[in-house]
Amino acid sequence: MAEETRILVVDDELVVIKSAERVLKSEGFQIEGALGGREAILKMEQGNYDLVFTDLKMPEVDGITLIRWIKKSRPNIGIVIITGYPSQETMKEAIELGIIDYVPKPFTPSVLLDVTKRAVQWAEGRKPAEEKGAEEFPPSMAAELDRVIREYRHRPGCLIPVLQRAQEIVGYLPPVVQKRIARGLNMPEAEVHSVVSFYSFFTMKPRGDHNVRVCLGTACYVRGIEGVLDKIKGKLKIDIGETTEDKKFSIEGVRCLGACGLAPVIMIDQETYGAMTPAKALSIISEYGGPAFSAAPSEEDIETVAKQEG
Amino acid sequence: MGNIRSHLMLCAGTGCVASGTAKVRIALENELAKKGLSEEIKIVMTGCNGYCAEGPVMAVYPDEVFYQKVTVEEVPTLVEEHFLKGRPYEKLMFREPEKKTAIPGMKDIPFFKHQVLRVLRNKGLIDPEKIEEYIARDGYQAAAKALTEMTPEQIIATVKDSGLRGRGGAGFSTGLKWEFASKVPSEVKFMLCNGDEGDPGAFMDRSVMEADPHSVIEGMIIGARAIGANYGYIYVRAEYPLAVKRLRLAIDQATEAGLLGKNILDSGFDFELDIYLGAGAFVCGEETALMRSIEGKRGMPRPRPPFPAVKGLWDKPSVLNNVETLAQISPIILNGAEWYRSLGTEKSAGTKVFALTGAVNNVGLVEVPMGIPLRTIIYDIGGGIKKGKKFKSVQLGGPSGGCIPEHLLDIPVTYEDIVATGAIVGSGGMVVMDDSTCMVGTAKFFLEFTADESCGKCTPCRVGTKILLDMLTDITEGKGKEEDIATLEDLGRDIISTSLCGLGQTAPNPVLSTIRYFKDEYESHIRDKWCKAGVCRDLTMFWIDEKLCKACGACLRACPSKAIVGEKKVPHKVIQELCVKCRTCYETCKFKSIKILPAGFEGDPYELIEKTAAGAKEEK
Repeated sequence: MAEETRILVVDDELVVIKSAERVLKSEGFQIEGALGGREAILKMEQGNYDLVFTDLKMPEVDGITLIRWIKKSRPNIGIVIITGYPSQETMKEAIELGIIDYVPKPFTPSVLLDVTKRAVQWAEGRKPAEEKGAEEFPPSMAAELDRVIREYRHRPGCLIPVLQRAQEIVGYLPPVVQKRIARGLNMPEAEVHSVVSFYSFFTMKPRGDHNVRVCLGTACYVRGIEGVLDKIKGKLKIDIGETTEDKKFSIEGVRCLGACGLAPVIMIDQETYGAMTPAKALSIISEYGGPAFSAAPSEEDIETVAKQEG
Repeated sequence: MGNIRSHLMLCAGTGCVASGTAKVRIALENELAKKGLSEEIKIVMTGCNGYCAEGPVMAVYPDEVFYQKVTVEEVPTLVEEHFLKGRPYEKLMFREPEKKTAIPGMKDIPFFKHQVLRVLRNKGLIDPEKIEEYIARDGYQAAAKALTEMTPEQIIATVKDSGLRGRGGAGFSTGLKWEFASKVPSEVKFMLCNGDEGDPGAFMDRSVMEADPHSVIEGMIIGARAIGANYGYIYVRAEYPLAVKRLRLAIDQATEAGLLGKNILDSGFDFELDIYLGAGAFVCGEETALMRSIEGKRGMPRPRPPFPAVKGLWDKPSVLNNVETLAQISPIILNGAEWYRSLGTEKSAGTKVFALTGAVNNVGLVEVPMGIPLRTIIYDIGGGIKKGKKFKSVQLGGPSGGCIPEHLLDIPVTYEDIVATGAIVGSGGMVVMDDSTCMVGTAKFFLEFTADESCGKCTPCRVGTKILLDMLTDITEGKGKEEDIATLEDLGRDIISTSLCGLGQTAPNPVLSTIRYFKDEYESHIRDKWCKAGVCRDLTMFWIDEKLCKACGACLRACPSKAIVGEKKVPHKVIQELCVKCRTCYETCKFKSIKILPAGFEGDPYELIEKTAAGAKEEK
């Protein structure tokens, strides 16, 4: 892991940069130096770093200003402070801005290594989570979600309606969403999760643009839904509860759609389709932008029709 | 408004919408406009008619002509024939499967003829999205009567005397339930409606909520008045978007009309009603679980007592009634208990709605007086078994119910008589199965459901249903053991006696009832490795009887895996190694020359067939 970690050491004294380099390079880290805040910002504009080690007291652009800039523009970079004279106030400010750790100056190689390793762990644990979270959950959705939470917060028994709305907004209920709801409704995350995992309406996996619900009720069973389901699964190459790679379709098995008179039934998004045969199901799915499907009935279709009509 | 000559009642229930009602409506509007008939003929979008399979369906009033499978292509001819030339269009009329004569009148169609509509009184007659139309059909008169002329005690006495029993499954007296809750002193009480119709194969509650949402609301107002509740919730499945939409609209309209909210009809009685969307858990049909769910928690049942009438939602006295029960209330209040009792039996009064589906010719919603024989429902209303196949069993009560065999078809449909067979009336799902259904497979299907839906609170239910399912799976895969049947029965009885709620207490019913009536099928699966229905692939071999084969080539062409060989005039043969056991050939052969044998059978097939036939005769 060490060789992939790029660290920028920022100090107005070259000797600090050099000594840090000596200690960390032998451990396989990639080290670069900057002799002040301005140079550091310019370097970060051009290259990627995982960690920044910075002095606080520097001429022109000082450490606190640099930390502020990093937090705003490069929030994924972890920050460690190296300082000889930590004043309580600046340290407090730095901690509030969110630093990982600090190294006293002068430092021994072992202290520097120790802190670096911890910082690397932090950066590794944090980065993917943050990136993924950001991808799954854009700020506009977060704002909408917070609005829903505020709207329902004071109603008794509001958790399930909030979860239903949240799933409408985000499409599914990943841990970040559950966490946000737990915080917003002031209840333990475990409680939110217990409810999400209990009800089949809630899903923790992302669904496709179009959700194909296949009715597995008795009437549909008696009239051959299994053959239809098999064909849909085969065509989309996914199983129940999964989403296609292009995120277009997902398949869900539901207990009964209450349209037994039309059995076998499938439902795509909010539309119900009855009297399904494999051929009909596939051609409807292709209308939704699914894999192309020729209308000529295949032999398997004849089989299912024969089964249904006896 | 000009003189409206005819009303076109076009069904806009979930079923017909799926069959294309919207397109038909546009086509009708255009066609009527083109012919200059828009002023004279009015199209009304109604709720579910119940005859979903033949949708989109449409009734023309006052002529009372019923059309089915109306398509956009047929609309011009239909309008031309019926409305310009004045002769009903036969092509779209109902035809009896055998006789082929067209029947124009809805009342004469067997599917409708035997029904008595009380719950479904407004189906197909009103636009469910317009409160005025409900009111025009005596809607909210019962609520007015109950609120302004009757005391809560009188309401309860009337409902009690009517003999109405909960239509959700258990069949508890509705009047008694109300009486219990009314006697508990409390500032806050709740009136709840259970629209979490979870039984696979049942859709009467969806239909009522879609076709006549105000009838449910009116029942709730009356119930709330009787028990003294000022707040109510309708708990509906999120899978029923149309029902949710129409209920929301109905609540808004009723609130605007002063039928919900503060000081209803100047009676001083307040009732606020809201909708709560279920999140897909079968166990939430159980009352204590449903209340937990409204509280925003995992819907798990709790022991009773205390009963919800004492401690229900948020620990306040609460009454939960099923959609269909509530829809029965207003006619009872208007017409009295005696009127209600005029149909049905002593202990099972009034009518019950069933969702008739499966292997019958006419599928759909049927409302019949309690006490009529099952046979009437299946053969007269349902039109018998599809494609002239043989009846095998009718499944009642969904995953909590059981399978009833042919020799019991003449028993009357009442709560007690059905329970005696090992099934339950339940919410009214009625799935008919023909002889191509494997009963072990059916039991397995239901156990898959209950094992999945068990909430996990009680170990016997959580683990027990899984063990039942595993054993049934083994049996269908040819791994069954002789002692399995006894174990299934023992374990089933243990689960029933040690589970807390209705789910566990009824989950083994499908297994127990199929063992009771179809034990021979279990035995042939286990002993002979033979699924006689040809459903369990590991226990089936398709074999062509050369003496019966006419070498027509039908099966040969239909076989998807090209496992059948033969030529003209040479009897065909199934190459077992290639056969995928899809049954296609069996269903295709017109000469019944394809026989189902045990998998890997090596003896003389003729001998086996003869022996089986002799055995069957002896049994009879």
